[in-house]
Amino acid sequence: MEMNEEIKTTKDVIQAILKSKKILRMYPDNNPVYIKNLEEAYNKFREFFYYSDELKLKIKQNEIYYGSEQVYVSSEKEDNLALFFFKDGIREITFKKGLANDELEAFLMIITLDFDVKVTDDDIVTLFWEKDFQNIQYVVDDAVLMDDEDYETVAINEAKTQTNEPDFLMKAYEEAFHERDVPEETSIIPLSDKDLQALIEEFEKDAQAKIGKLVSILFEMLYLAETRQDFEDLSGFLMSAIDYAVLHGDIQIATDILSRLKVLLENKNISDEIKKFIKKIMLFAGSETVINHLGEILDSGQDIDEKTLDDFVIYLDKNAILPFMKILGELKNIHPRKIVINALTHLGSKDILVLSSGLNDTRWYVVRNIIHILRKIGDKRAVDFLLKTVKHGDNRVKIEVIRALGELGGAGVIIALREALDDPEVQVRIAALKALGAVSSEAAKRIILDKIMNKTFKDKEFDEKKFYFEAIAKWRDKEVFDFLVSILKKKTFFGSTKNDENRACAAYSLGLIGNKDALNILNKYKNEGSKLIQEFIYTAIRRLEHE
Amino acid sequence: MSDKENMDLHKNAKDVINQIAIVVRTSQIHDANNVAIASSISKIVSMINMLLDKESIIHLELRGELFYINEYRIRYSLEYLLNFDFLVREFKKRDLGSVTFKNQLKTEDIKTFTRAFITAPFSDEPFDVFQEKMSAIQNIEIGRLKKIVEDEDSFDVRKMIKRSYFNAVSHTRGIMNKVKSGEKVNIKKAKRIMESMVDHILEEEQLLLGMTAIKDYDEYTYHHSVNVSILSIALGQRLGISRKMLTELGMVALFHDTGKTEVPPEVLNKPTNFTDDEWKIIKKHPMWGLRAILKLKNLDELTMKSAIASFEHHMNIDHTGYPTVRLKTELDLFSRIVSLADQYDAMTSSRVYSRTPLPPDKALSIMMERSGTQLDPLLFKFFINMVGVYPIGTVVMLDSKELGLVTESNQIFPTRPRVLLIIDRQGNRITGNIVDLTEKDEQDHYVRSIMKTIDPNKYKINLAEYLL
Repeated sequence: MEMNEEIKTTKDVIQAILKSKKILRMYPDNNPVYIKNLEEAYNKFREFFYYSDELKLKIKQNEIYYGSEQVYVSSEKEDNLALFFFKDGIREITFKKGLANDELEAFLMIITLDFDVKVTDDDIVTLFWEKDFQNIQYVVDDAVLMDDEDYETVAINEAKTQTNEPDFLMKAYEEAFHERDVPEETSIIPLSDKDLQALIEEFEKDAQAKIGKLVSILFEMLYLAETRQDFEDLSGFLMSAIDYAVLHGDIQIATDILSRLKVLLENKNISDEIKKFIKKIMLFAGSETVINHLGEILDSGQDIDEKTLDDFVIYLDKNAILPFMKILGELKNIHPRKIVINALTHLGSKDILVLSSGLNDTRWYVVRNIIHILRKIGDKRAVDFLLKTVKHGDNRVKIEVIRALGELGGAGVIIALREALDDPEVQVRIAALKALGAVSSEAAKRIILDKIMNKTFKDKEFDEKKFYFEAIAKWRDKEVFDFLVSILKKKTFFGSTKNDENRACAAYSLGLIGNKDALNILNKYKNEGSKLIQEFIYTAIRRLEHE
Repeated sequence: MSDKENMDLHKNAKDVINQIAIVVRTSQIHDANNVAIASSISKIVSMINMLLDKESIIHLELRGELFYINEYRIRYSLEYLLNFDFLVREFKKRDLGSVTFKNQLKTEDIKTFTRAFITAPFSDEPFDVFQEKMSAIQNIEIGRLKKIVEDEDSFDVRKMIKRSYFNAVSHTRGIMNKVKSGEKVNIKKAKRIMESMVDHILEEEQLLLGMTAIKDYDEYTYHHSVNVSILSIALGQRLGISRKMLTELGMVALFHDTGKTEVPPEVLNKPTNFTDDEWKIIKKHPMWGLRAILKLKNLDELTMKSAIASFEHHMNIDHTGYPTVRLKTELDLFSRIVSLADQYDAMTSSRVYSRTPLPPDKALSIMMERSGTQLDPLLFKFFINMVGVYPIGTVVMLDSKELGLVTESNQIFPTRPRVLLIIDRQGNRITGNIVDLTEKDEQDHYVRSIMKTIDPNKYKINLAEYLL
């Protein structure tokens, strides 16, 4: 190959490396851009290897040389490929002809890492070393590792200072003239297949995560601790252990720590001073740091046992409410959100006020979830907060809050529900009806009856009317019974279709109430009127006869 | 060649070596015409021919303790360990360094090779006999084991290893001082140093082990930490631990005594035996070590392993050591490895609790007694195989009336290491003459054998003068 061609191909390789360094960072490895870039880079190397068996690049601080030719130069401090290698001590990199695609990919992935952002204990040399490339070799100047260049000389001189005293040496020689005190031949200790099997088992055991073992030791240390500083240090370590366990999805370990601490907390022989440290650790478990990590794990798709998570939440305190609410709004998947809702349902009861602050969230789904949680908790103190949400701009929130208000009940709820019956959105109105039914107070009954009796009621859609009658059926008293019978009996000449709808709904409602006294009147009208009435009466009779 | 083909080739190469070991092993019991052997031989033929379809020749070479095929080091997993080790020994017994296969092999070629391989060691010149028996076979060529000569290159290697060793000690001193003053420690640097240690152990184990035999330095604690690292890595390598894990093991070992930074210097460096109160302080260093390590950096696997080993390295497998714990669980694998290395280095050093350093062979005897109670018996088996019956630094009296110092152990013949002579048979002090105790005279008798071991401390023999 002509020299200039060789240089040109080398420069192409360098450019391909530079391009990959930017592109591979941005795309996942199954992305077509990623794959294409990798292919192109590999092809550049292949082009080079077509002519030469190895590509040896000499690294200077700001330049890269191929032979005596400079193939790269940069005076930048950032994005300087030469400096990137140079600063960790790499002085030469050689790519050999056998370079495989996956080797190149591994190499590029290492140089693509953003060492400024990624917290790592490894530099490029360590990462290259760990890969143990067959076809990428590098020369490192270990002078960068030198702490004290004179140390070797000084240490050797010191060690050699005590020279052998000839007299002692000769004494040793003379005294050694005795009979043999060692066997002439000793066989090597043989290793059996059983030993090997035992070793394999050792490795299998060793592959398990170490956090459990460390926690066990930390508790031993806790028992051995003597000073305030000991307890303070151990608190910090146990907090780190909890965070680490959660971050790595090992919720069981975190739960075990908390459960053991709880036992200590309940131990009367332990001083209040130590209990303060224990409480601090337990509070940390519910901190934003830990709960954020929990969120990351939940959203990562890692399989987390719900029961284990529930157990973990049991040990948390109310300080975990806000962090949980924060991740509730950030989680991308539905399943983790359900898990967090369960957690907040447990924790929320410890501080309704804090939980209710979630109702002010700007994201509708967070507000709806908080309402759902408040409803599940069932604490009537939540009503005042919920009432402020009834006029929320999102109907999905309105429906949820109406439902919650219905279940929580109370005098304050009625007015809001009555107003909701006039909401422009039918689903909201239906929710309000159901809620009033759930409240099942006299006032609620009155509101529904008044609405049905209102002259505009007949103009409502049939489905909505049906919900009204379904709601009123919750009151199984005489007043409602008579009211329904009166509607059933009512015949009109004008607007008979709308009236028939009311009569059909009344029949339906009588069936729901379950009072068999209604059978007479139902049977009386079963062959009369429209097909709609007949159908609903028939259903009601069947229901009553079979109850 | 595609990546997959490369991987297949490597897998096949590994299987070929394994299969050769199986044939050799079986052939030591049965004749080459035995059905089992015949089947294994035909397997080898087909495996090698498959490789020969891709490559024009297959060159299997033994370098040190490692096999290479066509210049590629063949790595193997634990399941292959016994067979690979066995074949290394068998190659060495025959002075066999390489086997080259070419063309397409026939069953008869491998049968001849096997017969020659089995009968060769019974002669004085096993390699020559082997070669003669193979002369008729065109498709297989053998080469003699390359002797490790003390040339300029190996001198450079020695220099490099010495430099790495002292750099590690100097860095350890820096780390310990930083730990003591609560400063930030550069783990990246420590890792790089440990990687270089791992490389040296993989390539030049004996040289680096030799560095651990010198105990006459002033700064015992730092040398001890590095020595324990080296011994742990060397043992880990024997166990088949991966390179990356060996670095972790080295780091864990390096930090095992971090807690000693908190022991008051007047106690740590006390020239006489400890009082009960001083012992109480000393016994706290595992806990202090754990605490110091956990404060060094955020929690990760390496930090946890280091902290665990620091806490457990004096506990003993039967929990008779310290600290005493309520819940007696099995010690971590790294803790047990470090514990072995720690005990060995401590017993053979002069500035430890007992104050009286032991010669290496005596230390091993004591450890042998502790094996199964305090020390892990399985790991100890590997450990003693690693350091040899006469570890480097053992002062030996030979039956030739020469006094010498073991400079390199022999894995095949543990009682026949390489020895640096320091006094000749006339009683004169000499230097620079290294002899191999496997050397035999014309009557097939060993020229020299070890008769007695000498305690170098008793006679103030300074090993540094010879080993550095």
